Amino acid sequence: MADNTKNRKAILVSPELCIGCRACQVACKSWNLLPGIKTQNNGTYQNPPDLASAAYNIIRYSEVPGQENPVRWLFVSRRCMHCEDAGCMKICPAAGALYKTDEGAVAFDRDKCIACKLCVNACPFDVPRYDEEGKVTKCHFCFDRIGNGMEPACVKTCPTGALKYGDRNELISNAKADGFSTIYGEQDLGGLGAVYAFKDEPKLYGMKENPTIPSSVVFWHTYLKPLSWIGLGGVVAAAAIHYLAIGPHKDEEEV
Amino acid sequence: MAEMVQKESGGAILNHWILAISCILLIITGFAFLFHLESVGSVFGGFETMKTVHNWTGVVFSVSLVLTLFQYLGDSLKYDADDAQWFKVAGGYLSHKVKVPPMGKHNPGQKLYYLGIALFGILIALSGFGIWLMKDNSTIMLLSHFVHNLAFIFFCIMVPVHIYLSTLANPGTLQIMLTGKVPLDLARKRYPKWVKAMGKM
Repeated sequence: MADNTKNRKAILVSPELCIGCRACQVACKSWNLLPGIKTQNNGTYQNPPDLASAAYNIIRYSEVPGQENPVRWLFVSRRCMHCEDAGCMKICPAAGALYKTDEGAVAFDRDKCIACKLCVNACPFDVPRYDEEGKVTKCHFCFDRIGNGMEPACVKTCPTGALKYGDRNELISNAKADGFSTIYGEQDLGGLGAVYAFKDEPKLYGMKENPTIPSSVVFWHTYLKPLSWIGLGGVVAAAAIHYLAIGPHKDEEEV
Repeated sequence: MAEMVQKESGGAILNHWILAISCILLIITGFAFLFHLESVGSVFGGFETMKTVHNWTGVVFSVSLVLTLFQYLGDSLKYDADDAQWFKVAGGYLSHKVKVPPMGKHNPGQKLYYLGIALFGILIALSGFGIWLMKDNSTIMLLSHFVHNLAFIFFCIMVPVHIYLSTLANPGTLQIMLTGKVPLDLARKRYPKWVKAMGKM
């Protein structure tokens, strides 16, 4: 884990600066050549209503009027959080289908995905989606851009600085210097690659409190996985020792 | 040529081979999924084809497992005083000096092994179908994934034990899997109560 903290990049989301223009959604579609989606008016400007195989990022619109501000409208960028300790990567049975880049992005290789959908169920943030061919899709941090020294498409296009890209430690310390005492995602799941500077409780913005990988997946990864090969190897070794030390069954001595 | 007795029928032998081969193929591909063994994946031309092979081999395994219920389950549920004594002497496997009580067609170790295979086999089959076919139900998916891996541990540990005991540890046993036949002399020593029941003692 400590290896890539030096090089680890992040997106800092500052919802107070977001004007809800959704240029990030358009830039993402444009760079990643994603088709449009037919959606419905659900009585909100949030569109499409949720992440989809052709919508790697969306702006979530929450109306949370308080006593002081009766028309408070919160915009927050929702996308893959690029967890350091990523549940999707833990559970994925296909070698190379989900992988980490040097910058800390959780990217995917469509051709290696085996369409099992296990990642969907291990993600603490309900992010991965499957396309019509049953292959995984999600925000991949524009790994092809950041790998070449560019910003992700969404950050590049953001007109207000609500999305910032850069060195993860730097972004976090700058946000703290700006007066944001707690940064959402600083510690969760080994540290997220998408960190959020909230003025209020993250819950107010529709963020998950204390996100965790499902406990059965953690137990499996920590104990059952090693037990399978330790058990197999142990039994084979025990059989060899038994054969040499005690030897095979002898019928003569029995009768 | 020594007189031979038929211990297992042709159908039972065939089904056991189907169960054994499918089981081992499933364990190998299962390990490849668990530890991203790309060398195993490349044998199948990639992990996606390996998934198809794993799933359909699972169907073969499941059918074969159901057939074994008719073969072995009845016998596996019956235990007598000799079986209790067999456990006390650990089946004679830890020392050649102890006296192993007379056994029937199967010893209680085999019977318990079969019950384990039947139980964990049903669990691994059902959970496998859960992962395969219930992708959109998060609860079933996570539960199946856990149960599938838990049962996998049983197979990883018990299948090698079974293979060792039926080959190297008990010379002459493997031919039952090949021909179904045992020399009568050997059968009288190893399965006296079964031979007696056949009236050949």
